[in-house]
Amino acid sequence: MAIDVAVLVSVGRHPVSGRARRADADARAVELALSIAGANVRLIHAGDPGEPALRDYLGMGANTMTVLRMAPEADPVLPLSAHLSSMRPQIVLMGTRAEGGEDSGLVPYLVAQALEVPLVPGIVSLSLAGERAEMLQGLPRGRRRSLAASLPLVATVPVMAPAPRMSAFGLARRGTIEVKDVTAAADEARAAWTEGPARRRPKRIKVMKAASAADRVRAVTEMAAGKGKVLQNLPPDEAAKAIFDYLVAEGIVQAKP
Amino acid sequence: MSEERIRRDPRAERETRRARAVEAEEALAPAASESPSGRIRRDPRAERAARTGRAAEPVAAQPSAVPESESGRVRRDPRAERASRTGRATPVAPQPATPVPSGRVRRDPRVDRTAQRQATAARAEAAAPVKTVADPKFLILAVPDLEDARLSSHDKDVIGAARGLADAGGGAVVVLAFTGPEGVKDGLGEAGADRMLRFADASFAGYAPERRAAAVLAAIQALNPQHVLFPDTGVVGGDVGRRVAVALGDRAASNVQRVAPDRITRRGRGGRADFALAPPRVLLVAAEAADPVIDERYEARELPAPRTEAVPRVKDRGLAATDPATVPMAEADFIVSAGNGVHDWDAFHRVAAALGASEGGSRPVCDAGHLPRHRQVGASGTLVEPRCYVALGIAGAPQHLQGISKVERVVAINADAHCDMVKRADLAVVGDVQALMPALERIAKERRHGN
Ligand SMILES: Cc1cc2nc3c(=O)[nH]c(=O)nc-3n(C[C@H](O)[C@H](O)[C@H](O)COP(=O)(O)OP(=O)(O)OC[C@H]3O[C@@H](n4cnc5c(N)ncnc54)[C@H](O)[C@@H]3O)c2cc1C
Repeated sequence: MAIDVAVLVSVGRHPVSGRARRADADARAVELALSIAGANVRLIHAGDPGEPALRDYLGMGANTMTVLRMAPEADPVLPLSAHLSSMRPQIVLMGTRAEGGEDSGLVPYLVAQALEVPLVPGIVSLSLAGERAEMLQGLPRGRRRSLAASLPLVATVPVMAPAPRMSAFGLARRGTIEVKDVTAAADEARAAWTEGPARRRPKRIKVMKAASAADRVRAVTEMAAGKGKVLQNLPPDEAAKAIFDYLVAEGIVQAKP
Repeated sequence: MSEERIRRDPRAERETRRARAVEAEEALAPAASESPSGRIRRDPRAERAARTGRAAEPVAAQPSAVPESESGRVRRDPRAERASRTGRATPVAPQPATPVPSGRVRRDPRVDRTAQRQATAARAEAAAPVKTVADPKFLILAVPDLEDARLSSHDKDVIGAARGLADAGGGAVVVLAFTGPEGVKDGLGEAGADRMLRFADASFAGYAPERRAAAVLAAIQALNPQHVLFPDTGVVGGDVGRRVAVALGDRAASNVQRVAPDRITRRGRGGRADFALAPPRVLLVAAEAADPVIDERYEARELPAPRTEAVPRVKDRGLAATDPATVPMAEADFIVSAGNGVHDWDAFHRVAAALGASEGGSRPVCDAGHLPRHRQVGASGTLVEPRCYVALGIAGAPQHLQGISKVERVVAINADAHCDMVKRADLAVVGDVQALMPALERIAKERRHGN
């Protein structure tokens, strides 16, 4: 059974050079889509079809891409939703957030709302069991949560998902880009924003209230000591039990009931 | 571990300072006594102290008015501890100044200081004033993640940001807490909550973004807050917050770096640009966008939580088992780490496996080849951020402690009760780690796996 998987891709920026490239999270979404057995992967982009970075996605192995041609920085949500409504894919994937514009991370939520399908954020793998998708959601600190939902659905793919394959030059050249003209509303609210270069703030060392400079110096130089409990002269079994109880109470390990 | 925290109370501190100044003056009186030559001897330091209202003691020796650290931890007094261990009590009450034969009053500054310290601590504890906002002009709703039923530092920053918005115009902060059935382990009042709404039902636990969003929407309907703040975290606050914003038709601001009533800053263009705009209703706030509330207590009065209903379409099937050995150190959730105190390496590997923890080590053990280099924790190894770090026979050199500076729960097992790792730990066991490792393995096998 062929299953239609649409991947929404955007144009990313290299964090250092600022050059246009495939967006990291979107490329991982394409990788994840290509890993689904029997998937018919369709790439969709809203923006400028002439952008060379789009071919990097084609070079990953999907041979066509649909570009909804619209002005740069116009609102892509309505045209994307309209296109997906007519196409009716069972799965829509995209990166958790873009890296070239507002980067709000709201687009997947708006698309899911427009399509009236459930949204599953942050997945690192997906497999199909009939009409259900079984997914692993990536959590901080290497943990994974197992989730299930019935199709159709929208899911987002974070940068902690498996790394995307390289883009092959030949495939990128041979791939075709279909262009569809759409009307997109200009983003009016955005016009009132002022934009400047990101201001890096120093990392916070310590939060404190200090009456004097001496207090401040002391607070950052002194070792934070002594909040803990110290157990002495316990036999090993009791000490081990105290440690295990602490780990259970803090939710670090689970004890069998 | 100790839940009881002594908060710093600026008012009490000021009082102590004043009291100390008075004492300094008293101390001055006999000091300005007539010397044999008949000339009056003055003590300029005490006089200055009396003038400025500071104690005449050198700064370092000040009984540093209770706590210091970020979390408001109580400072330890090793002298008092030693005394209590040896059964010799530190004198509590200021002893009456005994007149010595010469007629001059002799004081024991050490006793004075102890008494002062105890008085300050007692006062700070008793008098931590609860700030109340009786009749708020508007409400700010904050929804912390409360993972593991604790306020993360990101959560505290978000409540701090809400506090800033509320204080700027006579508003109040409402914290909406998905507490889980067991309740929250940290004080919401200490974090800056004027009011709180609790959703304790187990159906909100785990991954339940649809239910949580419905609850937040019900709270918004009931309270009509001016702004709703979430931590912009991947699949918790960032997820629920976006669902809420979309349901409200609000264009939420995400990755918010600074918050003020009329203007916020949010980051975009892959982290290269900041946008300044008027704040929308929903704010997804980055870590460290605002400072947390410290040394203060708010009322955290409970409001009735509205009833909600939502039919979840995504099913949570629990955490998937991951092999701790394959998780990169920087991402590990739970690390058991060995230092020079560990000699029985079989026992170490077994206890780490029984607990389901990733292995780590100090530099000397990696140098010696007991563990691969990529397992080294510290300044020249990996900076780790597990939820819990168990240090077996690690002394706690500064280079090692740097590697665990962000860890919130440290357990230390060490033969030396005075090493820095024991001081850093939330729970420390003083004893031989070789004997403890098999015991811990046994209990972990019994209680985790039932054999
Ligand atoms: C430039 C530089 C960079 C460094 N970077 C790092 C780094 O990244 N990471 C790092 O770890 N170190 C680093 N170090 C080394 C660091 O200074 C310490 O030497 C090292 O951390 C000490 O390791 P340790 O605690 O395992 O060993 P030790 O200092 O030997 O401590 C062993 C501890 O085990 C206890 N002990 C002994 N026997 C037992 C027993 N039977 N039961 C219980 N406890 C016992 C002892 O009381 C002691 O506290 C660096 C040093 C330098 C100069």
